[in-house]
Amino acid sequence: MLDTPSNRTGIGLRTPHYRELLAREACTGWLEAHTENYFGDGGYDLHVLERLRERYPISLHGVGLGLGSVHGFSQEHLDRVAALVGRIEPALVSEHLCWGAVAGRSLNDLLPLPLTNEALALMCTRVQRMQDALRRPILVENISTYLRFAREEHGEAAFLNELAARTGCGLLVDVNNLYVNQCNHGVDAAAILDAIDPRHVGEIHLAGHVATDLAVIDHHGDRVAPPVWELYQRALRRFGDVPTLIEWDTDVPALDVLLDEAARAEACRELVLAEAAHAA
Amino acid sequence: MPLEALQANFAAAMADAGREADLMQALQPGDPRTADRIALYRGNLAAAWEKALANAYPVVKALVGEEFFEALARVYAQAHPSTSGDLNRFGEHFAGFVATFEHTRPLPYLPDVAALEWAVHRAHYAADAVPVAREAIAALQPHELLASRFALHPACAWVASRFPVADIWLAHQPDSTVGLPESLDRRQAALVVRPHWRAEVVETDRAEIAALEALRTGSTIEASIDAALAIEPDFDFARALLGWLEWGVLVESPRGDPAGSR
Repeated sequence: MLDTPSNRTGIGLRTPHYRELLAREACTGWLEAHTENYFGDGGYDLHVLERLRERYPISLHGVGLGLGSVHGFSQEHLDRVAALVGRIEPALVSEHLCWGAVAGRSLNDLLPLPLTNEALALMCTRVQRMQDALRRPILVENISTYLRFAREEHGEAAFLNELAARTGCGLLVDVNNLYVNQCNHGVDAAAILDAIDPRHVGEIHLAGHVATDLAVIDHHGDRVAPPVWELYQRALRRFGDVPTLIEWDTDVPALDVLLDEAARAEACRELVLAEAAHAA
Repeated sequence: MPLEALQANFAAAMADAGREADLMQALQPGDPRTADRIALYRGNLAAAWEKALANAYPVVKALVGEEFFEALARVYAQAHPSTSGDLNRFGEHFAGFVATFEHTRPLPYLPDVAALEWAVHRAHYAADAVPVAREAIAALQPHELLASRFALHPACAWVASRFPVADIWLAHQPDSTVGLPESLDRRQAALVVRPHWRAEVVETDRAEIAALEALRTGSTIEASIDAALAIEPDFDFARALLGWLEWGVLVESPRGDPAGSR
């Protein structure tokens, strides 16, 4: 799906690394940018993204559309995403399985949807609308949550599989989010991984989390934790050769720390691929 | 619970800790941590809004202090709820808000500083444009220059104030060589420019603003000079023009403009 010969590991594009990324030779497989950070009509951020676009495949990862908002879904926001996609021509475009607004009021967060038939129908309509606007398929990512709804009608894997089957979208599997939900709600992350249809998976996210007394929080501010690395290997065995991203948003460290995490992911990937080749 | 009601109840619980009961109805019962976890979402939202505001208003934050700014952000978010999934737009009404907010009244310069910071914030994301080159101006005969029309760079903006806003802003920049103004009792205007990607603030005056205002509305250079002279008989056009060229303020007038340039 990426316009490179391989599915190497990439890193999230963050402002503190602009200068170094521009100065260095290509040092990672690809870059993922938060779509909304490049909503300007012009300016330095877009300039940097366009320059880096010449050197790296780019993924545009939306964090503000709120596909599952019953009210307050913004066509204007979608138009801006479409304009940016037209300008950057990214290798991947993704959003989240979440909502984020009510009428006239935006809640700027990735909020959980109850996994009901009603939510599934709405998500299908919205993903279709986004794909129509962009004239390309998108990836939809599973989120971490602190709350659990009563009376849900689907498990997360079944919900995502059905969304992908009905709309033709792909899935972005965030392994850390699965682990965080396992800690917070006692769901079985490995079982969810095993139930996700590998044919739909187009990308994997890895990030750090922090444990508090109240909940495990996916703050994207640390190295990937050991149990998440384990789940990642399981994911690779199941999903095969798909691109992986290292995300780091809080207390962003030096670029080399991100690259080191990416190298670890890359080593995992090569190991699992070699295993698979050996078994075949 | 229908999704519409669930989301409305969730939003209500985000706005007001006293309104969690309806959301609770939709959640799995029996978890003693539920109320605290709802509060976790509420806290995350407040933090996201404060961070967005602090990103656009670092000087206001420095002027009022971290703690006060945090409180200010909370009240602002209630008075002007976010309406966009793009957090860079949150803060659009902040200058107007601090102008009427009771507890910032002892800092009468704050609204103008906020207005300037919003102009700088907007300038960062403004469209790109190729500035008119010094050589192009130098190649014109004086009468040609006077008859010329230019557009202004989309990042260009200004704030005229009863207070030394440009100096206050400059004094708070990293590596600033400008000290805080000794007296606040001085009118000053600030011009926002973006010569090399980075938005910058330079001191300007009402006469120069009048000239730029005239250019923006399609007047010739000659008419813009007249507008400035009407305010300041000693307006030094040559000096102003040098600044405009250095900061990339002037761009070619849009093609097909019936008024045309030159």
